[in-house]
Amino acid sequence: MGSIGSLYRSSVGKKSIMAASGLLLSLFLLTHLLGNSVSFLGRDAFNAYAEKLHSLGGLVYVFEIGLLTLFLIHIITGIILYVENLQARPARYSVNTAEGGRSWGSRTMPYTGVIIIVFIIVHLLNFHFTDKSVPVADLVRGLLSRPPLALFYIVSLLAVALHLSHGAWSLFQSIGFNHDKYNGVLLKGALAFSILVGTVFILIPVLALVSRSFLL
Amino acid sequence: MSDIHLTLKIWRQEGPDAPGRLQTYASGPISTDMSFLEMLDVLNERLTGEGEEPVAFDHDCREGICGMCGAVVNGHPHGPEKETTLCQLHMRHFKDGDTLVIEPFRARAFRIEKDLVVDRSGLDKMITAGGFVSVNTGGAPDANAIPIPQKNAEEAMDAAACIGCGACVAACPNASAMLFVAAKVSHLSLLPQGHPERARRALDMVREMDELGFGNCSNERECEAACPKGISIRNIARLNREFLKAAILSDED
Amino acid sequence: MILDSKVPGGPLAEKWDRHRFACKLINPANKRKFDIIVVGAGLAGASASASLAELGYNVKTFCLQDSPRRGHSIAAQGGINAAKNYQNDGDSIFRLFYDTIKGGDFRAREANVYRLAQVSNNIIDQCVAQGVPFAREYGGQLANRSFGGAQVSRTFYARGQTGQQLLLGAYSALMRQVKKGKVEMLSRREMLDVVVIDGQARGIVTRNMLSGAIETHAAHAVVLATGGYGNVYFLSTNAMGSNVTAAWRAYKRGACFANPCFVQIHPTCIPVHGTYQSKLTLMSESLRNDGRVLVPKNPGDRRPPAEIPENERDYYLENKYPSFGNLVPRDVASRNAKEQCDQGKGVGSTGLAVYLDFSEAINRDGSGVITQKYGNLFHMYEKITAANPMHEPMMIFPAVHYTMGGLWVDYNLMSTIPGLFVLGEANFSDHGANRLGASALMQGLADGYFVIPYTIGNYLATISSSPQDASHQAFKQVADEAAAKIGKLLDIKGKKTVDEIHRELGLLMWDSCGMARNEAGLQQALAKIPAIREEFWQNVAIPGSGLELNQSLERAGRVADFLEFAELMVIDALSRKESCGCHFREESQTEENEAKRDDENYAHVSVWEYNGDNNSPEFHKEPLTFENVQPSQRSYK
Ligand SMILES: Cc1cc2nc3c(=O)[nH]c(=O)nc-3n(C[C@H](O)[C@H](O)[C@H](O)COP(=O)(O)OP(=O)(O)OC[C@H]3O[C@@H](n4cnc5c(N)ncnc54)[C@H](O)[C@@H]3O)c2cc1C
Ligand code: HEM
Ligand code: SF4
Ligand code: FES
Repeated sequence: MGSIGSLYRSSVGKKSIMAASGLLLSLFLLTHLLGNSVSFLGRDAFNAYAEKLHSLGGLVYVFEIGLLTLFLIHIITGIILYVENLQARPARYSVNTAEGGRSWGSRTMPYTGVIIIVFIIVHLLNFHFTDKSVPVADLVRGLLSRPPLALFYIVSLLAVALHLSHGAWSLFQSIGFNHDKYNGVLLKGALAFSILVGTVFILIPVLALVSRSFLL
Repeated sequence: MSDIHLTLKIWRQEGPDAPGRLQTYASGPISTDMSFLEMLDVLNERLTGEGEEPVAFDHDCREGICGMCGAVVNGHPHGPEKETTLCQLHMRHFKDGDTLVIEPFRARAFRIEKDLVVDRSGLDKMITAGGFVSVNTGGAPDANAIPIPQKNAEEAMDAAACIGCGACVAACPNASAMLFVAAKVSHLSLLPQGHPERARRALDMVREMDELGFGNCSNERECEAACPKGISIRNIARLNREFLKAAILSDED
Repeated sequence: MILDSKVPGGPLAEKWDRHRFACKLINPANKRKFDIIVVGAGLAGASASASLAELGYNVKTFCLQDSPRRGHSIAAQGGINAAKNYQNDGDSIFRLFYDTIKGGDFRAREANVYRLAQVSNNIIDQCVAQGVPFAREYGGQLANRSFGGAQVSRTFYARGQTGQQLLLGAYSALMRQVKKGKVEMLSRREMLDVVVIDGQARGIVTRNMLSGAIETHAAHAVVLATGGYGNVYFLSTNAMGSNVTAAWRAYKRGACFANPCFVQIHPTCIPVHGTYQSKLTLMSESLRNDGRVLVPKNPGDRRPPAEIPENERDYYLENKYPSFGNLVPRDVASRNAKEQCDQGKGVGSTGLAVYLDFSEAINRDGSGVITQKYGNLFHMYEKITAANPMHEPMMIFPAVHYTMGGLWVDYNLMSTIPGLFVLGEANFSDHGANRLGASALMQGLADGYFVIPYTIGNYLATISSSPQDASHQAFKQVADEAAAKIGKLLDIKGKKTVDEIHRELGLLMWDSCGMARNEAGLQQALAKIPAIREEFWQNVAIPGSGLELNQSLERAGRVADFLEFAELMVIDALSRKESCGCHFREESQTEENEAKRDDENYAHVSVWEYNGDNNSPEFHKEPLTFENVQPSQRSYK
């Protein structure tokens, strides 16, 4: 049996898979974030950037398949873990009090995860399975200037940020990295990363809503 | 010294398969110098006098070292004080008029035997799976033959201080036993004597943990916060490391 | 009965070697035909179980707790002695032997104690190999400290949790054998009786503490490692479950009991603070290195310690024992504390405490140094009492701590019932009339790792290896008796709780058979114990049934045995009209009120044989001879 298979049969192995896929997804988010930031440079730059991406052709395709696989691995493993964890305590406590270890991020991982799934579907429908002839800038502006959708994006992206506020630290712990010297940096780094991701992404729907000149 | 009066809501359950419920008792006057278990003793003496069955709870050393005691008080395993076992918790930390909800440690892997008494044999089973150094009596080399850096010995001791109480499992939102397993794997992997078997040990102990029906670790850090001996989740990271190294790189399966 | 200690001949240093050679061996293929029962999984029981299983025997191990990792040994704090001489400070096997036998006030067997000192070094090697994280120096070598007044540094320790780490080591070895299928571990089982067939121990009867089922277990030999009986006093530093039941049942089946009145009272415990109190907590002896023991000069002085002026403070140990001062041995310190309280000079709300003051040391060395040395202990003290010894003196009082007496065993650790072996605190063997600090852990592990594996073979080689089973009529009979006793207890349905009666017994024993004993007090106790016992059997209240987890019933069974055993303790104390070690007979003191030993009449082990419930026990003497050390009178002036 291959080592991935045996990894998958163990709790620690599954967590390492969550961590690895989470890390790669985070890296993807980072590139996505950098790409999206081009929008702040204006309509033309953004459109050009999108053109450039599309022109990569087959490479994009490979990348998309990879990303999808990553998501599926992360999601399926996450669901398995969640269900197993529920089963591990069939009778609940009458009084639930946190000991002080949990954070908002950590306690909501599965829920923010579900929000992200819904978000991704909507997001793909909005931007992927759509009329590719419309320039990206128009697409973004057209969609995100509609308050309900913009709000949905903002809430979802807050969920992403919350997910990462725990996840970006947790993944290191899962693969075995925890060192007194670097723990402070890691914890703060994870928080900073989640705030950065949240802020930059959310800026787009916010600007689309309130700015008269954004992407015009 | 002063007396307080409390309302106690205690989980009563006759046996593993019987239904349980929270039963309310007035504590009567409780001296603030009492330990938590002495408070339960006082209640039990009264119940016995009234011909009722006393509340069953596990305990032995009453010094915070044997790991036998433990219950969840208002949602906190071993009560609200940090790094304190239930037997070392004193009533001066509660106020007159407080209501205390006292429940057993809950996890699928910890069957309730009666009232607050649970079956923690799973912890033994995980040690049986690999929490030892395979050395027979006799034939050990001189104790000073292998020098061990003080720092490693101290870190090993930090991990070895685990009293096997199971509060980490009780506190974990997923009823995971990772902190317990991590403490043992760390203790032995930090010492040269534990090295020959470190891959085997990590794999076997984790496998046993999974088979016993404990949950997975989500790095919620509740175990560390609840642990009466302050065992750090650094040990969990070390376990993850040991396990992944063993699973991916070693020949063991 | 003739007590044969079976001490081998030859020079002291060669006895154990010669004996090992003389012991019959069992060939490896035959070992697996023998079943051995080990009752107890403390240091002695766990180490014995693991070692015997490694040799190939089939072992069944029993303990009261839910896990073998919780035996009372886990609570030992200070450390474990060994004659490694790593510090190059003049230690040797002979010196450890000498200190131990002198510490026991010359009431132990030379040969046993010498063997203990010999194997002490192997214990440390073994424990390190198991991964016991002993304290180390920067260079990676093992650290030692001096303990209990020893003049050499020979105590190995793992922070303040030495017993825990040693036990976890033995426990891990035990669990390894469970994995190999060589040990069957039966937790939450209470041994209620031994089964003796044709004069040989052949098994035990237990109660499953969860289901209440009475079970029988057969074997070729039975090893008891059930710990000490300090809880006869109700309050002690022992764990709540520590009991005399196993030893007492064995006694009633023919195993002789030795020196039951030898009980060690530790001077530095946290005082009793209320009637609800369930146990006493030990504060390490090391505190006396820097703390000064004192009481107010005037009886009845109730002022807080800070308000007592220097000239109204009585540093009684320093005044009375100028050369040892606060560092006198445990028994002397304990007795003097009691004396002060008896004179009305005790402090605290109960008047049963003395102060241990660190202010001088804090002024001298600075609070940093003191915190570094004792911070952990101060913290523990504060947790329990809510007072910080950095700011106000600690209050301490002596408490029952260890029982030197136990079932009589020969050099092979076999009791007077062939096939019944007794290890650890449950036997009487190595500590004489007083145990030195850090030597009980050593003895438990010596017995389990390095003695019983040899000596049990010597016995097994003499009996048939044909399979034992519990179908013999004797098993049913003993099981029925055990069940009948439980039935009888449950039928009483009286008014008093088990603890109430236990507390009453404890108080009586503490007052009359505690730190100091005299004829009149002991006689009174002898008259009162049967009355308390009577009250128990008429009026104890045990709710619930026998066929479930029933903690009142468990306690009742143990207290029933304490109530019988207490009488034997008092009889033993009465018969020993000398003071020795921890046993202080007020009639036998020097002009300066110090203990006076009487080697002419009492250089023996007092051994008691059961003689029926209505007869007094039969007295036997095992004379003690000293060929290698010269008994001397202890002096601490
Ligand atoms: C607070 C404290 C501190 C101490 N510190 C030190 C120290 O620093 N150094 C030192 O050398 N010594 C110390 N001692 C003494 C030492 O710890 C004990 O003497 C020693 O550990 C006894 O070990 P044992 O294996 O004989 O018995 P225990 O550890 O008491 O084990 C008894 C075992 O028998 C089982 N058992 C008992 N009765 C039954 C029954 N009826 N049926 C089935 N099972 C039964 C129990 O479950 C347990 O497993 C200390 C003692 C105390 C109380
Ligand atoms: C933007 C995409 C996503 C990123 C960057 C991401 C990132 C991460 C990271 C880094 C972790 C921490 C892994 C660890 O603890 O070792 C994590 C955990 C988790 N993720 Fe995601 N995730 C994403 C999407 C999702 C989705 C769609 C789900 C839906 C099920 C999900 C569910 C979870 C769950 C349940 C956990 C916690 C697992 C556990 O600790 O038990 N995530 N994620
Ligand atoms: S890790 Fe802490 S909480 Fe868990 S069993 Fe050990 S001592 Fe108890
Ligand atoms: S009773 Fe031993 S740890 Fe609480």
